Amino acid sequence: MALVEISNLEKSYRVGETDVPVLKGIDLEIDEGEFVALMGPSGCGKSTLMNILGCLDRPSRGRILLKGQDLGHLSDRDLARIRREEIGFVFQNFNLIGRISNLKNVELPMTLKETAKNLRRDRAMELLESVGLGHRLDYSPSNLSGGERQRVAIARALANDPSIILADEPTGNLDERSTSDIMDIMRELNGEGRTIVMVTHDIETTRCCNRVIWMRDGTIQEDAS
Amino acid sequence: MRPDDMLEYVLSSFRSDWRRAFMSSLGIIIGVISIVALLSVGQGLYGGVSEQFGDMDMDLISVRPGSEMVMGPGPGSRPVLSSAEPAEFDHKDVKIVENVLGVDAVYPLKTARALLSFRGDNSSVNIVGISPENHDDMKDSVARGRFLTGSDYKAAVVSSDVAENSFRMKISPGNQIRVYSADKSRYMDLKVVGVLEEDEDPSYASNDGIYVSHRAMKEFLDSENYYYDSIIVRARDSAEVEVVAEKVEKALSRTHRNEAYSVEAMTTIFESVLEVLNMIKYALAGIGSISLVVGAIGISNVMMLTVKERTHEIGVMKAIGATTWDVRALYLLDAGMLGLVSSLVGILLGTLVSNFVGSVAMLPMEVTAQSVALGLLFGVSITTVAGIYPANKAAVLDPIEALRGE
Ligand SMILES: Nc1ncnc2c1ncn2[C@@H]1O[C@H](COP(=O)(O)OP(=O)(O)O)[C@@H](O)[C@H]1O
Ligand SMILES: [Mg+2]
Repeated sequence: MALVEISNLEKSYRVGETDVPVLKGIDLEIDEGEFVALMGPSGCGKSTLMNILGCLDRPSRGRILLKGQDLGHLSDRDLARIRREEIGFVFQNFNLIGRISNLKNVELPMTLKETAKNLRRDRAMELLESVGLGHRLDYSPSNLSGGERQRVAIARALANDPSIILADEPTGNLDERSTSDIMDIMRELNGEGRTIVMVTHDIETTRCCNRVIWMRDGTIQEDAS
Repeated sequence: MRPDDMLEYVLSSFRSDWRRAFMSSLGIIIGVISIVALLSVGQGLYGGVSEQFGDMDMDLISVRPGSEMVMGPGPGSRPVLSSAEPAEFDHKDVKIVENVLGVDAVYPLKTARALLSFRGDNSSVNIVGISPENHDDMKDSVARGRFLTGSDYKAAVVSSDVAENSFRMKISPGNQIRVYSADKSRYMDLKVVGVLEEDEDPSYASNDGIYVSHRAMKEFLDSENYYYDSIIVRARDSAEVEVVAEKVEKALSRTHRNEAYSVEAMTTIFESVLEVLNMIKYALAGIGSISLVVGAIGISNVMMLTVKERTHEIGVMKAIGATTWDVRALYLLDAGMLGLVSSLVGILLGTLVSNFVGSVAMLPMEVTAQSVALGLLFGVSITTVAGIYPANKAAVLDPIEALRGE
């Protein structure tokens, strides 16, 4: 059984009186341990697909299974639980909370999961050390560079040991140097067996991926391993 | 999310945004101050008045001609037709009342305003005609000199207030005083035989009077018809006072069938006053509650702004797995904590305010456990209720939309 099974997935948004189709029948399987790059022109529906996969949004039609569980028929509460425990989201604009420390940011998914205080503290410290920020535990994210922020965000995404990492243009706001830092971490994570789906515009960053999917206008155009 | 983590999160948001916390609590603080202060001002008023009434003799009954009832109908007061003539009481009525079972003493009184002249100084006083031989109770209430006797004619006893405070020179037994009628058409010279102790008063009504015999009073007023304007009756047993009042009423009704008069136990009057004061106390607390409600609207508004400002943060929380309930609980707790802290501050300041008012107004102020509890209860519950709407707004935010809003 594949980790992710998507069949005939459609998504349309209602704009005024009309339904605007954004995803027009996606079929896709992702196996455990894959590092998938998702590419395509702006507006083709990559983020929409990622959001549905990440349980931030619901499909309009079709089926999407994560570990065999149909995401289309879950309550809000269950979707929140899956976001918390199965998904590690990494955003283009980091989405960290500026008024609390890096350590607290990384602890937050575990706090929401009600992990014991000392356990989550130890794990957050360990994760921040593993992305090279062991010396920035008590800093606020707002005092960090973009590359450092994205490393905090990756540490946070790993907090509850998710089944899949979803990264939507994680290097989109970063310079070359930070981009290669982030990609090193991504490759390392994949090397440890983590499943990653990453949206990117930069062909360079797909070098460590074992599969590249091209999207166009809400459909999959090419799927190359 | 566990409750202790929620609390920590809320407290950290207060710390990072104390100005907002302060602004939103201001209304609640003021509301709680007013509840606590007003309740204790009410309580103080109540206490002050009951203290004053506490001096009053609880075994007294007041009989007055005329149909005005001091505090509305109560036991012992007599409903009369408004067309009825006021009753005219004289010494025969005193005899009737003296013979009522349970009556200990009867004090017929006649009061008038007069101008008192002493060594070139003038002062307006009450001059009260009394029956000296009835006032066994006043024998021990004389500070200097003696009380009037039945055989005194142009003699007066002066209250402590008039003797000590109304003239440049203090009035002493043996002094001559002159009283003028209110229109200054007549006067009478009197010899002071005694000065009363402070707060002692044979008329049981005011303690700024001078007291003479009815014989002297009749001559001073120079009127054809001399009737008493009140008869104070002392019951033998203060527990029986209302029963005695009814008996007095019945006895008088035989000779004053269609005339207007009232018979009231002082305790009845006292109870009505306390009742009114109690109402005032809760009316004041009501005003406090209104300011709380206004405060709550303020809190709700500030929280709406907070939720708007924190939209992105709420989006992040939801994206990494916070449930709708987590977010709702966080913001309700935010409101509840604001309410708790502001109520405590309000209670503290309210106590200071009421102590200050108490010392200025010289009322025995009392911040009771009841008013503290009311302040706390209202403060916390009203803020929490005010937080419901903003907390819901936060809880149902769509994470994608919320994250876009940076
Ligand atoms: N909430 C929405 N309402 C209406 N249209 C939307 C909404 N979200 C996305 N779209 C539209 O869907 C299309 C795909 O968007 P998106 O998935 O963000 O593209 P990509 O990430 O590939 O650039 C775009 O045309 C966008 O305007
Ligand atoms: Mg996108």
